[in-house]
Amino acid sequence: MQIDAYITEYARKTPQNIALEEGKSSISYSCLDNNINAIASPLMDFNHCRFAILAESGVQYIKVLMAVYRSANIAVPLPIEFPKFSLEKILDAAHVTNIIATDTQYSRFGEHFFERFGTVIVISSDTSGKILRKKLETETNDPELRLVLYTSGTTGTPKGVMLSDRNLAANAESIIKVLRITSRDKGALVISPHHAFGNSIINSHLTAGGSIRVGNMNFIDLVFNLIGSGVSIFYGVPSTYRILLKYPDRFKKAFANVRTAASAGGGMDRAIVKDIKELAPDLEILPMYGQTEATARLAYLPAEDVDEFVDTIGKAIPGVILDVFDSEHRPAGPSTTGELVATGDNIMLGYLDDEIATEKRIINGWLHTGDLAQKLPNGYVRLLGRKDDLIKIGDHRVNPREIERNIEENNEVSRVFVVPVYHELMGTAISLMVIPAEGTEIEKLFAFCRKSLPGYLCPREILFIDHLPLSENGKISNRSIIEEYQHVKASM
Amino acid sequence: MEQIKNEIVDYLKANSFMDNNSSLKDGDSLTQNGIIDSIGLLELMDYICEKYSIEIPEDMLTPENFDSLQGITNMITKLAK
Repeated sequence: MQIDAYITEYARKTPQNIALEEGKSSISYSCLDNNINAIASPLMDFNHCRFAILAESGVQYIKVLMAVYRSANIAVPLPIEFPKFSLEKILDAAHVTNIIATDTQYSRFGEHFFERFGTVIVISSDTSGKILRKKLETETNDPELRLVLYTSGTTGTPKGVMLSDRNLAANAESIIKVLRITSRDKGALVISPHHAFGNSIINSHLTAGGSIRVGNMNFIDLVFNLIGSGVSIFYGVPSTYRILLKYPDRFKKAFANVRTAASAGGGMDRAIVKDIKELAPDLEILPMYGQTEATARLAYLPAEDVDEFVDTIGKAIPGVILDVFDSEHRPAGPSTTGELVATGDNIMLGYLDDEIATEKRIINGWLHTGDLAQKLPNGYVRLLGRKDDLIKIGDHRVNPREIERNIEENNEVSRVFVVPVYHELMGTAISLMVIPAEGTEIEKLFAFCRKSLPGYLCPREILFIDHLPLSENGKISNRSIIEEYQHVKASM
Repeated sequence: MEQIKNEIVDYLKANSFMDNNSSLKDGDSLTQNGIIDSIGLLELMDYICEKYSIEIPEDMLTPENFDSLQGITNMITKLAK
């Protein structure tokens, strides 16, 4: 069943129940369903076409997303925290010729940005859509495709994860079971809805007939007011919790009536768990693990095991089978390191227009996560790093080699190396080690990074080095780069 | 007032949140225009606290006080008294 069909069902069964809240306004299921129909109406004569969505986080975004579903087209939400040229790269890769934008984003990005599109629809805050132009074109798409989520593309080649209605519904059902979400629950959406985690909050709460309060993390006072407004389940990445824990008194008060604090997007560390438990002893802490390639969620750590097993990802969510495979794609025994693999109805259809990448990730029906892992005797899974070079920065998965190449190609430098460093709030940020060339200027490098990369990738410091950070066997890896960085810092 | 405003713009430029040649109107939203994100706002707050020797109570961390040059300037003026 399509996610938007659940909304129609609740609009019939419980029309007055609140579906979405934002600021001082709220909207019932019946009203939401009507709004979706209104936005979907001009999309109805498109036949399974790709629609980019350019919208800030908010109720408008959710309405537009559901309208694309309702019109049986394909949604391609754009991660608006990316700089303009990264979005353009995603658009090139996604071959999208139709776009729906909020009027805020339309004026922010400007007319010129929209010239590439055959169809441009601008949605104003009262949900009325203005069709600037409309061009019906025939597209050939995977018949099951409903949503494309971009996992990278900040710097390197954008990878669009293709998800189907079945993927979305299956993962929503699993999450509802794990978090015991009912129609009485109100979820807090303060993280970006354009990525897998935020998207899963929308899907699971609307599938359960519950409500969602939408906000963001920009202004602390508003965030705490949002949490204290009757939210029963709060969702955050680890850095969300780190930011909130900076204000212990407000945390204690706001979370007093929250049932569950769920996390994903990165591992929760013991310090966060300890601080939360001190301030809100009755709050259930539920760490979860997943990937966009699995729609969102793959595993969870039952709340009662958080103290003992917070360094693991726990066990598979209902409907998913997890295993650890050795290099021959055979199940590895307990306490043997291999690659974490997963199968279930939530595993993506593949990467958009990229069969080669898809074949590397999905082998015989198993999603190969790229995460190195071990099974513990009790069946829980512990992660032990990545098979590839990917690292988590501010709870985002990034490829340091792509960032390095991007900076090298656009600046006067000889070589650039990305070093993951500790950051009080983000957990991990980056610093740069640079082998300078003639004309290298630190200020220019900082300015380039701030302008061309999302905020979490702005380097904390830039250090000059004079030789390559090679390992003993002459290779450059995350490890050799970190070792060189420690060496440089120690001698400063 | 003008001095504070200029100092905030200098900070935003020095830390590359803004281009040197771009301008910002007093009422423009820093978040809606993509100039600053939640982590950037926390950094800006730390800078303001240190520079003007003020403490900003949590209930003042609102869009009215933090999302525009005018709001930030008013807030600093109020708290620095």
